[in-house]
Amino acid sequence: MLATITARLAQMVFVMFGISVLVFLIFFATPGSDPAARIAGRNAAPETVEQIRQEFGFDRALPVQYAIMMKRLFITRDLTSFVNRGQKVIPQVLDAVPATLSLVAGAAVLWVLGSLFVGVVAAAMRDTVVDRGLMILSLIGISMPVFWLGEVMNLMSQSRFHDTWLFSWVPGLGYVPLSESLGGWFKALVIPWITLAILYIGIYGRILRANLIEAYSEDYIRTARAKGLSPTRIMLRHALSTSLLPFVTMFGLDFGALVGGAALLTEVVFGLNGVGRLTFHALQNLDLPVILATVIYASFFVVAANAIVDMLYAVIDPRVRK
Amino acid sequence: MSVQIDNSQPAPLPLAAGTARGPWATAVRRLMRNRSAVASVLALLMVALLTLLAPLYASYLGVDPFRSNLRGTIEIAGEAVPVMQQSTSGLGLGVTPIGPTWSPGGYMLGADNQGRDVAARLLYGGRNSLYIATAATLICLVLATLIGLVAGFMGGVVDMVLSRILDVLWAFPVYLLAISLSIVLLTSTIDLGLFTITAGSLALPIFIIGIIYVPYVARPVRARVLTLRQSEFVLAAVGLGLPTHRILRRDILPNLMPTIIVFVPILLALAIVTESALSYLSIGVQPPDASWGTIIQDGQTLLYSRPIVALAPGIAIVITVLALNVLGDAVRDSLDPRGQVP
Amino acid sequence: MTIWTRYATLTGAAALLSATALTAGAETREEMMAAHRGGEMRLVAAAAGGTIDPQINYTLQYWQLFYFTYDGLVTFKRVEGAGAGEVVPDLAEAMPDVSADGLTYTFKLRQGLKFSDGSDVGVDDVVASFQRIFKVSGPTAGTFYNGIVGADACMATPADCTLEGGISADPASNTVIITLTAPDPEFLYKISVPHASILPAEAPLEDAGVTPIPGTGPYMFESYNPNESLVAVRNPHFKEWSVDAQPDGFVDSITFDFGLSAEAQVTAVQNGQADWMFDQPPTDRLAEIGTLNADQVYVNTLTAFWYAPFNTNIAPFNDVRVRQAVNYAIDRDALVGIFGGPVLAQPVCTILPPGFPGHEDKCDYTANPGTDWTAPDMEKALALVAESGTAGQKVTIVVDDTSVMREVGTYLQSVLTDLGYDASVNSISGNIQFTYIQNTNNNVQISVSQWYQDYPAASNFLNVLLGCDSFHPGSDSSVNISGYCNPEIDARMKAVMQLATTDPDAANLEWAKIDQAMMAEAPVAPLFTPKHVDLVSKRVGNFLFSPQHQWLMSQAWVQ
Repeated sequence: MLATITARLAQMVFVMFGISVLVFLIFFATPGSDPAARIAGRNAAPETVEQIRQEFGFDRALPVQYAIMMKRLFITRDLTSFVNRGQKVIPQVLDAVPATLSLVAGAAVLWVLGSLFVGVVAAAMRDTVVDRGLMILSLIGISMPVFWLGEVMNLMSQSRFHDTWLFSWVPGLGYVPLSESLGGWFKALVIPWITLAILYIGIYGRILRANLIEAYSEDYIRTARAKGLSPTRIMLRHALSTSLLPFVTMFGLDFGALVGGAALLTEVVFGLNGVGRLTFHALQNLDLPVILATVIYASFFVVAANAIVDMLYAVIDPRVRK
Repeated sequence: MSVQIDNSQPAPLPLAAGTARGPWATAVRRLMRNRSAVASVLALLMVALLTLLAPLYASYLGVDPFRSNLRGTIEIAGEAVPVMQQSTSGLGLGVTPIGPTWSPGGYMLGADNQGRDVAARLLYGGRNSLYIATAATLICLVLATLIGLVAGFMGGVVDMVLSRILDVLWAFPVYLLAISLSIVLLTSTIDLGLFTITAGSLALPIFIIGIIYVPYVARPVRARVLTLRQSEFVLAAVGLGLPTHRILRRDILPNLMPTIIVFVPILLALAIVTESALSYLSIGVQPPDASWGTIIQDGQTLLYSRPIVALAPGIAIVITVLALNVLGDAVRDSLDPRGQVP
Repeated sequence: MTIWTRYATLTGAAALLSATALTAGAETREEMMAAHRGGEMRLVAAAAGGTIDPQINYTLQYWQLFYFTYDGLVTFKRVEGAGAGEVVPDLAEAMPDVSADGLTYTFKLRQGLKFSDGSDVGVDDVVASFQRIFKVSGPTAGTFYNGIVGADACMATPADCTLEGGISADPASNTVIITLTAPDPEFLYKISVPHASILPAEAPLEDAGVTPIPGTGPYMFESYNPNESLVAVRNPHFKEWSVDAQPDGFVDSITFDFGLSAEAQVTAVQNGQADWMFDQPPTDRLAEIGTLNADQVYVNTLTAFWYAPFNTNIAPFNDVRVRQAVNYAIDRDALVGIFGGPVLAQPVCTILPPGFPGHEDKCDYTANPGTDWTAPDMEKALALVAESGTAGQKVTIVVDDTSVMREVGTYLQSVLTDLGYDASVNSISGNIQFTYIQNTNNNVQISVSQWYQDYPAASNFLNVLLGCDSFHPGSDSSVNISGYCNPEIDARMKAVMQLATTDPDAANLEWAKIDQAMMAEAPVAPLFTPKHVDLVSKRVGNFLFSPQHQWLMSQAWVQ
């Protein structure tokens, strides 16, 4: 067990290191990415641009720049942004974590419960109107781009219907820290949670339904039915547990990516100061230090989530053995 | 006495029509008898046909849906109405494109920010979207199935390497790559010997989308394969010493079909939406060409004044994906002889 | 009582006049202060504006704030409208004594002024501040302040910058003397902008980044987190010494929150959750705010223009006929519509915007050449393209990813396609596009850009944008994007900048001629001049706007 964990950790570090090198290379391969002139300011004289270049070390060899940046990121921990100069990168990322965690965790609860409901009901009532209706709703959920849905939610809850009883409780856009006010935190996040969850309810609902239907054709279900167990019990205790494998696999992928900042469009649309939005701005500004920090942060969570899921396989489905 | 040994076969039972056919023919027959499957195939054909007939529609309307028409007018009830309408109330700020006329004769769904006919662009856009999404989905499914199969079945080092590759793929900041690519391709092209890639190559979004979703399908496939590997018929086949590729092809792959099929409509919808993000970065479909994704992006800037521009392609996507989903379910049902939920 | 901005619309499009009218019954400042002092003003923007260092930051977003947190020796008068172009003494007691040869400026510093950290303002701070401009490698060190004696040494080795011979101080008489290498009629403008703010001598000798530097204005920056907000509070050591230069503010604190998209900002201001939005309202909200929030919207003229620079050194725009053809073919009214309509923009054919010193109404590239643009002349354009024989060539337009510029780019692509070119348009992030299009290594043929005044002088447009000295091949900082260098016109510009020291009016006439001479060669395609839309919440009063400062925030109240 310990050996597996150590091996997995080593692989994780390797993956993160690999991605950071790739990101670094892509940045410098991009024409116009040279930050010197942008840092120097509009219409700066050539001497000024040259001074900036030397001050920041952009004239040194790439591996040297990479090493310096990694050192400043991990060892001295004083790496600063190119765009918001003087602002340290690591505190920036850490400050943004609560908003992302709040958004993703809440949405995850919603989508797990929602998709379980949709998948189970749709499979149980297969080929009825309910099943068809849920299928249509799921597909609508998948087909709506998150940035569009978010803006429409804002249009309704902040603008058009803001003064009606339906949405008058909705506070202004932005993240309210949990430490500041529980009620405020909750109210500010309800609509972002729903927006983010709709896509995943659609996907996971469909997947769960398909797996359940497939599970029902298995022999052990026939046995259970022959034994006279109630349909509910069969569904919830036998079919569901074996259908959870792909569900959990995908959850690991999605949750890991979202915690790492994949919900960037949701955060931007709702004005939430999370890791996703930080990543988004950094990419738009080609702010290499912040990009490196957020990418390493994100890859850590993705790889960790997958590792945890792999370890959970044996627990979920005993048929899986290495 | 001589015993007559009746060597003749017993009288053949009257065969039920069709039972002598193979499994594929059976499947097709059952599919054709499924009414909703037929309906969805027809819906898909209609969508495809409409998009293919886009040039006809455009010439019937007499508009060029790729040409900016900011100062154009259309005739409504005998009057020439400007396509881009200036606000006349209050301070007179803002110019709004004309709304849907609901008449197939012109601007049925209204105009976009450049004064172009949204309905005509929707039809043209369907071609690009369907082409890119279908190709990307295919690539993704083929690659993911391969990787998931091999990783799940082989285990050991092969599994570890492939799984880490999937990790890198999933954790990789594709958006950064896309931004970088879009700047690189701005005024130059990438020469790959046989092909040249320009900013407008549809191969770009197809491969980018096809590859980035591979982990999403490969890991569930791998999980399923890990389960199947322990099932009796597979263990039996292994015990019999059957070659691996035969086991994969004959025993495991058919049992993977339901898992894979359910991803088809999901991937298609995700592909169309992801394509919209890529074309925003000028990768893939270039202005003034349209795809459902680009029309959604156009509609984002018109959300508060002309919401139909973003809504129409969304509805088109839902219809297409819905039809595909129904078809997919029916295909899965027709292939599976036992699937029954009480 | 609120100050209203009225406008007049002329049918048939084109010219629009913007005038401000004071409502009757001028309340005195004391009365207004008594009635409206206090409260917290909440501003919103999509993103922070970069460093909080006034000598480095070059964004309109923060210059608006620096005007009430820092002071220079002189400054632009804090009034609305064109009056803000006048330079008035700020930290100096009076306008400087200028020597007869125009080389020496003697300033007498006011007594008794303090920084927000309590320290006194002295002549050593003035000297240190000017040296600091070079030590921190400010963007205008080499362009605005290189006329000071000793500046070249400072540009070469910034760390040891002393500006010896260029600036000297006499603590006994509290005077500062600045010496230039050549007479410069724009020098007072150049030291009125925030880059020449007077900071404490102990201010850090590198980019302050997110750490505010003490200043002399009525407000001081309390905290700055570029991902969250910027907070400014009253400067406890401020005492109003000149209403014209640095009037006291009404509100007690100003909070600038970052992170809301432009759509969300409009809704926030409409709902009263914010008092003002920095970003321009998206075009799909314009009709709405113009109707529902008409009394909260202020539309003001800016001295700025949108233009499409041609790369005059590569095909096809190295052929003057092609450049002229595009100028003829562009329907500037269509672009005005993209921007939001004739109330918000006006077609232009010259480089100097209307109302700017040196501007003369003239338009050659239209159907009926005369003083105004009327309609495109597609026939002429096609004929010119045919003459040049360049039809069919590939052209790429590079724009940024803001929605208006993308639409402008798509429209220009349509025009170029109509002219017979294989045109495509590409958009890249706004923060990268501006430097990308300047670098000749990127071979950008045509792009779209905007230019806003730094101060009201024609050279700020013509010499900076199209002078030979602004062209640096292979550099990301080469604001002469067209790469246009006409030695004859360049010589004329140098001559007229000399002329301006003695006869500004004659100089302005000559600038107009230079403008027209340049447009005859069409190195750029001027598109339109935009107006600025300010949406404020209901409770904001006394909204004043000047093209130099934009909204004079410290002069508005919220209660």
